[in-house]
Amino acid sequence: MSLLDYVMIAIRVAFSAFVPLCFVAVCVWMERRGAGYFQDRSGPNRAGIFGFRAAGLVQNLSDGIKLAFKEDVISAHIKHKFFFVIAPVIVFFTAIVSFAVVPFADTLVLGGKSYIMQGIPLDLGILWFLALAGFSVYGIILAGWSSSNKYGILGSLRSAAQVISYEIPMGLAIISLLVVYGTVNLNEMAQFQGKLLFGFLPMWGALLQPLGMVIFIIAAFAECNRNPFDLAEGESEIVAGFHVEYSAMKFAVFFMGEYVAMFASSAIIVTLFFGGYQIPFLATETLINFAKPVAFLLMVALPVVIYFFTGWIRRSNVSHYPRENDPRVFEANVYIKCFWGLTIFLELVLLAILFSTSGGAAAGIFVALLQICTLLLKVTMMIFVFIWVRWTLPRFRYDQLQKLGWQTLLPLALLNIFITSAVVVALS
Amino acid sequence: MGAQVKTIERKGSSLQERLYLPEIFKGMATTFGHLWRNLLDNRKLYVRHYPEVQPEIPVRWRGRHRLTTHEDQTVKCVACFMCQTNCPANCIMIEAGERLDGKAEKMPVKFNIDLLECIYCGYCVEACPVDAIRMDTGIFSVTDNNRESFVLGLEELLTTPGAFSEEEYKKGGA
Repeated sequence: MSLLDYVMIAIRVAFSAFVPLCFVAVCVWMERRGAGYFQDRSGPNRAGIFGFRAAGLVQNLSDGIKLAFKEDVISAHIKHKFFFVIAPVIVFFTAIVSFAVVPFADTLVLGGKSYIMQGIPLDLGILWFLALAGFSVYGIILAGWSSSNKYGILGSLRSAAQVISYEIPMGLAIISLLVVYGTVNLNEMAQFQGKLLFGFLPMWGALLQPLGMVIFIIAAFAECNRNPFDLAEGESEIVAGFHVEYSAMKFAVFFMGEYVAMFASSAIIVTLFFGGYQIPFLATETLINFAKPVAFLLMVALPVVIYFFTGWIRRSNVSHYPRENDPRVFEANVYIKCFWGLTIFLELVLLAILFSTSGGAAAGIFVALLQICTLLLKVTMMIFVFIWVRWTLPRFRYDQLQKLGWQTLLPLALLNIFITSAVVVALS
Repeated sequence: MGAQVKTIERKGSSLQERLYLPEIFKGMATTFGHLWRNLLDNRKLYVRHYPEVQPEIPVRWRGRHRLTTHEDQTVKCVACFMCQTNCPANCIMIEAGERLDGKAEKMPVKFNIDLLECIYCGYCVEACPVDAIRMDTGIFSVTDNNRESFVLGLEELLTTPGAFSEEEYKKGGA
């Protein structure tokens, strides 16, 4: 193995381990500011370092510091301290490892060798995700049980029943998808979605399997214990459910686990149904062949986007009351300068690609980076949908949840399998 | 007289509503409308930028207490204990003493109000026969870091000014 091999392994493992962690901050920020804006209030925007609020991102930092320095209480009535401590770790670990099979770029070819761009080079793909997503509920059950608390146990029992009733429609929705794709490997699925349907539509899972997509997304919401299926927490009924006895960093690990799970689910949804890392109409080969025109287009488009974005920052980042020498205007100017600096850096990178040899390693890396950005953009949009739904819908009642799972989604998923199989058999 | 009965139409039974998803998308469109409006122009948020922008306090609003004075800056209170007797939270503690300036027979030597006990019901103001205690300071934010400092003494109650003019206060219904 050459040095390059080791570097590539380090990069892909680091990517699949740290990107979900970084996205926790982004998710929490999107959730809290988004919730504010959905409800016509502003959300946390006061915490700042030397007056720099970064649109409220600093709040995450202060929350993190608070949670890290809080007293870590394990109540005296908790008999099984090992299970109590291990429970949040299970939730967090399964969430972060389930992202490891998501390909974040097409297979990169460097110097005649191809490198798979996913954290763990497994062929299991979607099966790995299903297994780990099912496993994460063990953490919740353990947490509720070892808390020796009736709210905790109620929350974890609800969660267990919910996972059973939603795992099945989810699995069945995936079966119909597997019939279409003919593979369990997520990278091959993403490559399949790079093709064109009827010659002009991207062949995304969402177009081939609309019903499967709806079922899978609903099941994924339930799987993540997100609204409208967050009965395991149910603040208004059972206080905080399974994590009622947890404090400080153990609670933070649960909290981060929830957001990492949301990120991983979004990544899986995007990979299965929204083309994964594929840019619509531009498959990997096309991109590598046309790397230079694409780079040129980006060079033109980037300043325009940044121009409007900085304009928006200038309009938004002001104090909304009379204030002399508004420090927020100064703050906004600093942000705008930062963004323009970033733009200049990116323009230089794109310029380097314009002057590189065509079809070489540079084009390959450029396309890989482009696909990573595409995937992250799509995942961010999917996370936004998660947040959007959370702040729109009320929580389902427990019997409604079970009814939806067993009486609606399960028959629909079965029906979807029959239809899909019939169509696939008829076409082949 | 027969009660008027208004039959309210029950929603949720049509096919479109029972399919859930169309209705969910309608709801999501509503919330997204709010998000988009606020993202484009965040001045439209229904928020008050609180510490910098203070809320407007109406005259009849019950804030922190104060004791009123005569024109010559002597205390109006006659230590009749009406407010202390009437207080449902038992937060007023008066100690009476003899008054020698001829305005009344008694005056308070000590007049303590424990703000941690006070429920801001305003019964002391209602009970006072000489309009000596008022809650018109407009102070609504009472914070400190030790319990002792929440007990207001006579001096502090007398020196806190009212937030409104006498006419406004009278117009407010007191």
